[in-house]
This record gives sequence, C-alpha cells and structure tokens, in this order.
Amino acid sequence: MRRTRLLALPAALLAASALTACDVGSADGPLIVVSTNILGDVVENVVGDQAEVLTLMRPDADPHSFEVSAQEAARMRSADLVVSNGLGLEEGLQQHLDAAVDDGVTAFVAGDEIEVLEYAEGDAAGAPDPHFWTDPARVLDVLDALEPALAEVEGIDADRLADDVAAYRASVAGLETEMAEAFAAVPADRRALVTNHHVFGYLADRFDFDVVGAVIPGGTTLAAPSASDLSDLVEAVEDTGVPAVFAESSSPDRLVQALASEADVQVEVVELYTESLTAADGGAPDYLTMMRVNTQRIASALS
Amino acid sequence: MPLPFPRLLGAVLVLSVAGCAAGDTDGGDGPPASVAGSSDGHGAVAGAAEVSEPPLGLTTVDPSGTVTHLDLLDESTTEIGTVGAPSAMTTDGRYLFVQTDAGVEVVDSGRWTWDHVDHFHYYRAEPREVGAVSGDGPATIATTNSSTTSGTGVYFAGSGEAVLLDTAALSAGDLVERFRLGTAPHDGMVVPVGSFALVTAAGADGTAGTVRGFTADGDPTGLEEPCTAASGTITTRVGAVVGCADGALLASVVDDELTVERIPYPAGTTAAPATAFANREGRPTVAALAGPEGADGVWLLDTRERSWTLLPAPGPLVAVSAVDDEDEHVVALATDGRVLVMDGNDGTLLAATEPLVAASLDAGLTPTLATDQQRTYLSGPVEQQLHEIDVADDARVARSFTTDTEPLFTASTGR
Repeated sequence: MRRTRLLALPAALLAASALTACDVGSADGPLIVVSTNILGDVVENVVGDQAEVLTLMRPDADPHSFEVSAQEAARMRSADLVVSNGLGLEEGLQQHLDAAVDDGVTAFVAGDEIEVLEYAEGDAAGAPDPHFWTDPARVLDVLDALEPALAEVEGIDADRLADDVAAYRASVAGLETEMAEAFAAVPADRRALVTNHHVFGYLADRFDFDVVGAVIPGGTTLAAPSASDLSDLVEAVEDTGVPAVFAESSSPDRLVQALASEADVQVEVVELYTESLTAADGGAPDYLTMMRVNTQRIASALS
Repeated sequence: MPLPFPRLLGAVLVLSVAGCAAGDTDGGDGPPASVAGSSDGHGAVAGAAEVSEPPLGLTTVDPSGTVTHLDLLDESTTEIGTVGAPSAMTTDGRYLFVQTDAGVEVVDSGRWTWDHVDHFHYYRAEPREVGAVSGDGPATIATTNSSTTSGTGVYFAGSGEAVLLDTAALSAGDLVERFRLGTAPHDGMVVPVGSFALVTAAGADGTAGTVRGFTADGDPTGLEEPCTAASGTITTRVGAVVGCADGALLASVVDDELTVERIPYPAGTTAAPATAFANREGRPTVAALAGPEGADGVWLLDTRERSWTLLPAPGPLVAVSAVDDEDEHVVALATDGRVLVMDGNDGTLLAATEPLVAASLDAGLTPTLATDQQRTYLSGPVEQQLHEIDVADDARVARSFTTDTEPLFTASTGR
C-alpha cells in the first residue's frame, strides 16, 4: 500500500528550493529538474555531483496526480534542462512543463526516445502506454538519447558524463540479463500476468508474457462475496493456469480465502511496485532495486 | 571545462527574479501552481493518503443535519459534521452539497477516486465541512467526474444566480467562486465542462430554452445552443450531458475549445424526454425515466456511441440507473419499493429484491439508488436501513446496515 509518508522531508526540500530560487549566490551549478522519481534516479546516477537534480515527484507518490509548489514551478522555468516521462503520464504537471519550454528551457522527453506501445484493451485501448520503464532495454534507449542532451548543459563535463553513463548503462544492461535469466525459469504455459496493475505492458512485451487484465474484487465485494463476483478473476486464472495473480489489494488474505471457498481456486496474491519508487527505507528506493524486486516476485510466484 | 561565469551569472539573476515573482503571485500567466501543492509544498495530494482500493462509503444526512459516514470496508460509523436542516442533497461521490437555510452547504467526505481512464487511484483524507454557498431558492447542482479539478455548478432558481465553484479549491477546503452571474430566474443549471461551463437561459415561456458557454472567469465564449425545456445533467467520461426536449446536448472541450454536439431522439419517438440522468460514476451509458414513473419506458443514452435506446419499463418506477457493465445491467427502484435488475439490451426483468423501502416511498421520500460495478446501494430513510445489493447474483441483498437516525439523504462516496 502506498502512502504519503515523510512529510517533513518535502518541507525541507521546499525551504531549500525557495532559498535557491531567490538567492542568486547559491545558484552556481547547473540545475536539472526531473518529473518522476524513477527518471530522477536514472538522471542522478548519470550526472553524479556535476549538477543539482531536483526531482519533483516525492517517493511513494502517484506520477499522474502529484503537484508542485509555486517555487518548484518557478525553478523549473530557470532550469538548464527539464526531464520528463511524457506520453501523457504527468497530467497535472504538464502545464508547468509547457511553461518552462515557453520560457526557453530545454526539455528532454523520455517517451520521445523509445518505441511506444499502445494499450491493448479497456477504455484506454489505442492510447500510448507511458510505463516504458518496466522494460530495461527501453531505459537503455532513453540513456542513449539522454547523454547528448546532458552533455549540452553548461557546466557538465562530457568526459565524466560519458564514464558515468557507461557505468549506469552496464548496470541496466545487467538488469536486463538478470531479468531474462529469472524469467527463463517460468514455464511456457505459465507466462501470464493476471493483474489489475496497468503498467506491465512493456515488461510483458520484452520478456514474452501475456498481460491478462482482471477485475480484482474489493472490500465491499469480499464482505459478502458470491461466485459471480469472482467469475472474471476465476476465469482469468483458469484460462491461464497460473498459480499467482499480481494485484494491489487492501485485503489479499480475504481475497485468497474467497477464491478458495467460493470458486475452489488456490492462488497466491502478489503485489508489485508500479509507478513510484519508495522512500529510502522502503522496498524499492531506486530503479534497479524496484525492477529486481518485481522480477524476483514474478519469477518465484510463477515458477 | 571552464565555466562562462559572467554570462551564467547574468542569466541566473534574471531567471531568479522571475522565479521569485512567480512564487509570490502564484503564477501570473497561467493557472495557479496547484492549490494543494502551493500551501505546503509536498507531493501527491496534500493531507491525503493513497489507498489500494476504492474507499467506499455511504455518507448520510439526517433531518437535523447531522452528517454520518458509514465505511463500507470496515463497517465503522463516524459522525463527520453538522449542517442545517436539509431540504435536498447532491453528490459527486466525494462532496455532499446539502441545501439548507444557509444556501448550499458543502461537506467533504474525504473519500474519492481519481479516474485516469487507463486506471484509477484512490484517496482518503480527513472529512470536513467546507462552507456554505449563499443564494435564494432551490439550487440545482452539477458536478464532474473529478473531485480535484474543473468546476462545480450551482444555480439558484430563486435569485437566478449562476455560480461556478472551483473544485480544486474545494479539495483544499476552500470555497472559491470562479464566477457568479445574474440571470433571469428560471429552473436553470450551471454545467461544468473542463475549464468552461454552460449556463442555461430562460426562453420566452420562462423555462430554460438555451445554453450559453462561459469561461471559468465568467466571460461568454460566444457559444449558444437552443435546448428547449433544458432539464437534467450528468457528466460521463465522454462529456457533459444536458437534457433537452428534442434530445441531449453533449459538451466537451476539444483543442481548448468548448464544443457542443446534439444527440437527437430517434426519429418518430413519442416517448417523453429524459429529464434526470443516473449512471455508474463516469461510465458512458446513462439511464433516465421516460415520463412520470417511467410510463413510456427507460431511456439509455450511450454518450460514446451518441445513441438513444428506449427500453420497456417492467412496471412503474421511481428511479433508474445504468451499471454499464459487461452484461449491460440496468437497475431501477419500483414504486412498490423493490430494486429491479434489467437487461439493458432489451429491458428484460432479470431479478428483483423484496420490497425494501415501501414505507419511505409511502411517506413521499425518495430513497437513494446508487450503483458501482459490483454492488448497488439503496437507502431507506423511514426504515433506517442502508442496503447493499449484488446485482449480478439475482439481486441478492448482500449486506444491510441499520442507522441510528433517519438517513434522509444518502451519498455514495469514495467513487
């Protein structure tokens, strides 16, 4: 379950950013503003201490609906580079991204640098899927395009940048290899992600899984369930033959029990990290960890 | 690489001044940098926790104005506020707009869902009383699918005042009127459409005869559409619906422009027009009674297909709503107090409950009928009961809750 924790930290960040925005003396290095915390982690890894990286989206937040302060919006407009996900992910933030571009700030949109998949089903069918980070190969594509954009920023040393990009690139490539190896253990007849998470289209495309969307019954249903309440999920489980479903549920135990008692279906309910890194003390504080944890959970649940 | 100091310093100086100014004025040339974020600067939504499933509840107002929230997940009950003696209530699934002597009092249930089309996010925060919108006479309230953006329309039939509330401000606990326009008093409405609104205007006979477009600042957009006997509005994920004598208007924002399409009734229709719509929050298909008690049947309007379907009514009805699920279920409340489940394809009666709210109907009260994908909720004010009905399982009553006082008005919240 995601919560907005660490309220004190953002307040401290705000104070720091307000000072910097108004204090000429402290603005002596390049500033890179990044929208999502996943991309923020990627950018921090490759620029190191060569620039200040201001990540707007806090840990454990929702990339679609997080909001920025007036001071942060102002800092975006004075940034040397603004990095965003694009493909419609940053809904609430888009007006500020546009304002920064109108002010002449250079923008890097990760979604412009990858082969985009479209949602296959549901009301959003045909719309671009913005969750490219579930495929590390696409993150490598983004890195390839990000390096020259960062090298253009005054104050960033291109040689140091090249070294750091190469090192992080190797880590992401290593992640892709690890994922391929872990998923190789999943039998061909179990390569299905029965899920109410909507972000795993790119992972499924890269590593040859089917994503099977299913209605995961919520608390009001599980309070007094009937067989028909569970039929969509039961059908998905029986069609795919998987021993686990990947779902966000406030009461996974009750769901497991209801499936067993109402439909005689025995499955595990596994939660995955989706759209946000966690705080440092959480289970997914950086991109590589987030992907490794998800990979391990998927591979062990389906193997 | 040497830094070009003088040039860099100059650039930073200019931009920093602009940055400070923008911070102080909340952004002069664009929308404010978000109400929630600007007050304390932290991410996500200020004061709210994201939860993993819809925080569903039933929020009721009793005759004395006491507002009580029943949490449908843990079955706990909490008193969340007090308003004046209520005469009517409208909800968008988060706020309760309660009509009292003070005007329209707004209560935030602190439970809501954010619809991203491809998925949803769910939030809970502290419930609170937001304040009262003043105005004379019965008010018509129109909401959107978003409880954190766009506007909420309030039209006071007594004074003719057309008010657009800032919904983003509501979510931060502030009552902010984007505009308050004077009109010739009529049975009118203000329909929020993205950052615009439609406001009805009275025709020669004194009833709403046209709708006019306005920006959120209250400036006319120039859009004017005839809509004879305008009555009833609802917002789906396709657009905002306004009922007219000869069909429906479907308003949406296309390329930053307010646009209106007309969806006429099928040629040769003799059934009475729809004057009040209900649906599962956000879904494209909405339902309405055709004529008093559905004497002419049940209208279904598919806002995505831009088409009307008339179903036969299985009997006299009080209310109807479209579930718009895979099986196209339609639910209705019959005048005898039963909840009926109909097939939205042909009107076949699929299942019915026992009479659950006959005493309330006999007393002239209108129970609330609200539906989500899995369950339908029915309030019985006189019976002091709130029922949860499993539509897909033969209209089984899954749970019933007894209330301490009469739930005169009931809002299905968290959606």
